[in-house]
Amino acid sequence: MKPSKTAAPGRLLTQVAGEGRTGALVVGGHPGGTVYVIDGRVTQAESPAAPGVGELLTASGRLAGRTWQAALDAGTAQARVGRFLLDQGHLTQGELELCVLGAIYDAAYFALSPASAPVDFLEDATHWLGQIVAVDPAAVNRETRRRTRLLEEIFPDPRIDAAPVAPVPRPPRERITVTAPQWELLVHADGQRTPADLAQLLGRAGFATIQELRRLAAAGLLELPEVRKPQKDQPDFVRLERARATSVDVRRPVVAVPDDAVPAGTGTARAGPAPAAPPAPAAAGHRLARRKPGAKLPKDVAAAGPREEPAPDDVLLKRIRTALRALR
Amino acid sequence: MPGVDNCLQEAMTIPGAVGASIVDYTTGFPIAMTGAAPNSDHEAAAAGTADVVQAATSRSLLVSAVPHDLLEDLIITTAGGYHLLRLVQTDFDSRLVLYVWLDRVHGNLAVARRRMQTLADELVAT
Repeated sequence: MKPSKTAAPGRLLTQVAGEGRTGALVVGGHPGGTVYVIDGRVTQAESPAAPGVGELLTASGRLAGRTWQAALDAGTAQARVGRFLLDQGHLTQGELELCVLGAIYDAAYFALSPASAPVDFLEDATHWLGQIVAVDPAAVNRETRRRTRLLEEIFPDPRIDAAPVAPVPRPPRERITVTAPQWELLVHADGQRTPADLAQLLGRAGFATIQELRRLAAAGLLELPEVRKPQKDQPDFVRLERARATSVDVRRPVVAVPDDAVPAGTGTARAGPAPAAPPAPAAAGHRLARRKPGAKLPKDVAAAGPREEPAPDDVLLKRIRTALRALR
Repeated sequence: MPGVDNCLQEAMTIPGAVGASIVDYTTGFPIAMTGAAPNSDHEAAAAGTADVVQAATSRSLLVSAVPHDLLEDLIITTAGGYHLLRLVQTDFDSRLVLYVWLDRVHGNLAVARRRMQTLADELVAT
């Protein structure tokens, strides 16, 4: 197989399956993923946007973290992590099969849904879990296409699937009805976490997560990501998030950052290399008096009682972090 | 310990069973199937069962004041047969339902309902 070329991942899977090959179909792009086949049947799939078998089992509490880790340690080398869990009685055959089947369709959706992506086929690559199930690749392709259509019908904006999830601060209606999964997503969305982050955190399937998010968007409960149109000759405008909950006076000079770092508030950011660590206060010229260890407070200060520390400027730090990420 | 295939084979031994499948009810896809399906289309039947389960779970219609009052099963009767949907409870997120299609003449609802309960429990329990 030729090294990394751009193709339709679904068609490549069909081809590989038709030839009865064994190996891993690696799909690049964001989020991309990997689909493992043995003798032309799909046995495993992984994607950054879909929690894997380990995450699903540990996040739900079904397996203790150390149980999973022990299985990885014992079984990875010989690709029999799944067998180890079954033999040790940590999971039933049915549970493992259902979990793997769910994870396959979930990750395969992200790997196979792009119309075109850089793809590569690694001959004879096997997955550390071992072969638990074998699925017809045509069914995987059909299901992936159906899922794409399902999402389009709910809310036709694919940016929801990758952008950080931000609930609207003020709902558009007097009464809101949400399902339990939607509630979980709203409660854990902090304006920073992407759908993939939330899926991992909550131990829920990646596709189910974006399905619910699209429903929330359709109901007007999510803020839609801003559209950025990068100009060829000008640096990108970086949109920083509006402050939420905490009211912070952004003009307050709490952190003196070097000039070439991203300024507070919206503004242009240099498209050059990102500055190393602006959150660290480069407080030029100010040297705070250091207390010798063991020394007592001077009497006048001790008498005044505990001083109020100014709250760390979370909002500003988060904005800087978001802006740096956007530069990547 | 029964795996998924074993569970479906057992489901087909329920008196009157014509077809069985395990369906993800958030997407309406049968992750495993056996036997016949209405209109010879397992995937269409699965999509239908998903709609029904979603309708029953997404509103608080049938929830009582009993704590943890979870939906256990749904039974739909058509001229063509009985359609039993038993939710499979897993600790991890799976959103699955066991679907069995029973012939109206040979199917016995009470027996089928109990067998499906056992099958769904045994699939995931130690």
